[in-house]
Amino acid sequence: MTASDTDQQLVQRAQRGDLRAFDLLVLKYQGRIGALVSRYIADAGEVEDVTQEAFIKAYRALSKFRGDSAFYTWLYRIAANAAKNHLVAKGRRPGADATIEDAEAFDDGGLVSEMSSPEAMAMGDELAAVVEQSLQALPEELRAALTLRELEGLSYDDIAEVLGCPVGTVRSRIFRAREAIDEQVRQQISGDSGFR
Amino acid sequence: MTTTDRDLEALSALMDGELQDLELRRTLGRVSEDADLRARWQRLQRVSETLQSKRVSAPAIDVSLSVMQSLEDKPNLSRNPIWSAAIAASVTIAVVMGGQQLLSSSTSVTSTPLISDIGGGVVPVMGAQPIQASLGAKSIPVTTRPAQDSAMAPEDVAAMYERLARDRYRRLNPRHAQAAALSHPAPYISYVRAPNASMASESE
Repeated sequence: MTASDTDQQLVQRAQRGDLRAFDLLVLKYQGRIGALVSRYIADAGEVEDVTQEAFIKAYRALSKFRGDSAFYTWLYRIAANAAKNHLVAKGRRPGADATIEDAEAFDDGGLVSEMSSPEAMAMGDELAAVVEQSLQALPEELRAALTLRELEGLSYDDIAEVLGCPVGTVRSRIFRAREAIDEQVRQQISGDSGFR
Repeated sequence: MTTTDRDLEALSALMDGELQDLELRRTLGRVSEDADLRARWQRLQRVSETLQSKRVSAPAIDVSLSVMQSLEDKPNLSRNPIWSAAIAASVTIAVVMGGQQLLSSSTSVTSTPLISDIGGGVVPVMGAQPIQASLGAKSIPVTTRPAQDSAMAPEDVAAMYERLARDRYRRLNPRHAQAAALSHPAPYISYVRAPNASMASESE
């Protein structure tokens, strides 16, 4: 199981009309899609409008998504087209086309620095530092489980085999590790309005 | 474990695609009712991105509520394109066939070759209507030739069929008499009847 399996699970439910599943996809990707749109459009209000429009279009076209590509790559195309159409409608000329390679690089976090403001980048650095510290402070058993999941991308079954424990224990350890990190993250940046 | 912890653990498992359908449905229901769980889901995603890429995307945007509001007002999830195509095809066929029915009494198909002309000796059937299955192509009647298009007058056609029927009767009558004689107690009667029948038909 991977993050894209999660997306696929949520997409399948959303395709059957479950808006709650689509809501989780919006929550998951709105930051990245907003950053993509801001690559084309400078005005923050317009970025928000176009991001919203992109998600609405994606939902309405969801029955056409066959899973041939990652959901995010598909969503990325829709958002890029929405941004370009917005510029054309405003009588402005769209800039360079966003490509699928961009989408994949973006999906890996490679283009985030290009698209984020200095404040957002500083906040990202701060968050990365807090997460790293929190990870190192975890008990070994929790850190091992979370690292195998997040960095190695192993399934719960595989992690259970590697660690020699039941799958239920793996699930619980990963949950507790995330809780511990989340607690630190909330404490460190609770005053930062940009990070909800 | 409290209910909240169970929800949070399920949310964590959902992130990893490790929920079965039943628990997934329950968790989706819980998340939709609980703003804290939604916020937690968003934070967990950011932490996960940070762990995997050591960077975090610009987070200062939240369109989720407005998107949901808009979709709840007008969901309009588009149909499966295969169904759309099938429906379109059905409508097209219905229109073509319906139009054909309306026009069948007055439509002239004089320039179109008939299947019976192409070969195969198709026998005209009374009451059958030409059928067209075309999308802009020429119509191809598959049954009977319209009477006004025939090179023969109707009475000539009737006489021709009468002749064909008599010929067939003459050919079959001796065979029938022969077969009947084998089982009849007075075999000659079968042979006597056969010429009589033949003569009767010739005298008409």
